[in-house]
Amino acid sequence: MEVQKEAQRIMTLSVWKMYHSRMQRGGLRLHRSLQLSLVMRSARELYLSAKVEAHEQTEVPSLPARSPDPRLHPLREAQAAAEAASPDGEQPCSEPMDTQEAPRAEETPARCTPHPAKVSRKRRSSSLSDGGDAGLVPSKKARLEEEAEEGASSEVPDRLQPPPAQAEGAFPNLARVLQRRFSGLLNCSPAASPTVSPPACEGKPACRPADNMLNVLVRAVVAF
Amino acid sequence: MNYPDESTYGTKADIISTVEFNHTGELLATGDKGGRVVIFQREQESKNQVHRRGEYNVYSTFQSHEPEFDYLKSLEIEEKINKIRWLPQQNAAYFLLSTNDKTVKLWKVSERDKRPEGYNLKDEEGRLRDPATITTLRVPVLRPMDLMVEATPRRVFANAHTYHINSISVNSDYETYMSADDLRINLWNFEITNQSFNIVDIKPANMEELTEVITAAEFHPHHCNTFVYSSSKGTIRLCDMRASALCDRHTKFFEEPEDPSNRSFFSEIISSISDVKFSHSGRYIMTRDYLTVKVWDLNMENRPIETYQVHDYLRSKLCSLYENDCIFDKFECVWNGSDSVIMTGSYNNFFRMFDRNTKRDVTLEASRENSKPRAILKPRKVCVGGKRRKDEISVDSLDFSKKILHTAWHPSENIIAVAATNNLYIFQDKVN
Repeated sequence: MEVQKEAQRIMTLSVWKMYHSRMQRGGLRLHRSLQLSLVMRSARELYLSAKVEAHEQTEVPSLPARSPDPRLHPLREAQAAAEAASPDGEQPCSEPMDTQEAPRAEETPARCTPHPAKVSRKRRSSSLSDGGDAGLVPSKKARLEEEAEEGASSEVPDRLQPPPAQAEGAFPNLARVLQRRFSGLLNCSPAASPTVSPPACEGKPACRPADNMLNVLVRAVVAF
Repeated sequence: MNYPDESTYGTKADIISTVEFNHTGELLATGDKGGRVVIFQREQESKNQVHRRGEYNVYSTFQSHEPEFDYLKSLEIEEKINKIRWLPQQNAAYFLLSTNDKTVKLWKVSERDKRPEGYNLKDEEGRLRDPATITTLRVPVLRPMDLMVEATPRRVFANAHTYHINSISVNSDYETYMSADDLRINLWNFEITNQSFNIVDIKPANMEELTEVITAAEFHPHHCNTFVYSSSKGTIRLCDMRASALCDRHTKFFEEPEDPSNRSFFSEIISSISDVKFSHSGRYIMTRDYLTVKVWDLNMENRPIETYQVHDYLRSKLCSLYENDCIFDKFECVWNGSDSVIMTGSYNNFFRMFDRNTKRDVTLEASRENSKPRAILKPRKVCVGGKRRKDEISVDSLDFSKKILHTAWHPSENIIAVAATNNLYIFQDKVN
């Protein structure tokens, strides 16, 4: 809960900073925007994984039959495959501009929660195809909570491994919690190559959870 | 490093945004947020005034850039000077490049100590004379006048950058220079202002796939075909312009594998390189990221040969540094003339020096309260935890609004210039 709150606070803060940077003299700064979006993405993933964990802990083991079973099986397979693969993970060569492991690892839990109805939804460039921006878009929050319940991410907590403790200073709890969660996400094997993506996910093999704010930002930059 | 001696100059102007010695160290240029350039000149040594040996006095001040407005994009273009780079001196005049976010300018700084007098068609105030009153003809003569230093813009290199310029670097051929923005690097010839060659372009076809930007770039000090550029992901690429016209494929790629125990929420931000500098020898490059300075050997790409912790006590404070935006601060780093000592800034007006040979380091402070002219700078220490000793300062007492981002080192002597917000401090090593 604490993690979720902190992650949400950081997301909100980042959005504010992003907005504020547009007001600055000299206009939007690409590097700053990129950095803010990286933090937001990390915060969002943290928020999601924390939420999933929270639900894991409070839920009855049998998942609500909201989603069709066939969808769950491919997901579990994907995760089994991901787990079995080497922890160093291969860098899928289809994405040369990828930011190393972090987003790939983030992808795995995010992909676990696709909404079946989204597949039929027409994809737009400013895609809201990833329902994972709950903290930013209040109207999507309800859907996120549904998906989190459905998500077959039982393996996620198993992969959260305690890292060497490093927490110190003004935010000991947060630092410790963030490090633990984040390291856990990173230890999720990044080896889920695009071709193994569950069928319920968006059709594009090289899909990546679209960062809503990043999209808005880079569109602003393109116009710039 | 022996005991430094201090002379302080308060510029009274805006925040200093760049500091640079020229190639002989005779001149020191500063640029500020208001678009002004102030050049200091070192006094000549004089037998009469031994104590005033080598002090820097204001030589010239001029407005380099003005605020502009891009009507097409509805954006204001800041006049802040991002970088100044000197050209080597080839005649009596001095030349420097100064740049803001979008436009690079070549300035000529020259002295005038004679003035023509005795024009036929103009009177002494410059007003035209009535030709009917002119009855004699004379040859104008040059008469001495008070020394005047004038700066004139000789070239304006504009409209070549879509994104914000972060670096300029003069090539060792003295005929070309490069300017780098977030995604592209352009090569210019000093004589040609309406064209430039694009030599690096990392803009992805789809901007939504953007993951990395260029943060700094510099030419090799001796090899005019070689340059490096650093990225926001903490990597450095060395490129050879002989390989191809567009240097999108690097010749060397410098990256250190990340230490998993240091992984944190803000890892990506703090690994971004804010400055890259070749050593004077050309054998090494130095990079600065948020918490460390690293020295790389050009012949070894997989890790730096030296890593220095600038202010590791901030590692646990990254969240609050994110909140107050300090985590985005871009610190610069410099080599001394012999490449044996490196220097970089920190917070609380502290700056750090690392001796590469003895492995000793020192923290010094640039502030009016703690130093007077000709006083000796006392080393400072930040107390990380536990009991704080008398002279130490605790991490929580550090003033994060007082940051030293820009420093410069004289090319051959132990004279350093340190910019602390809107004050410039010049420290000299006094050897008696």
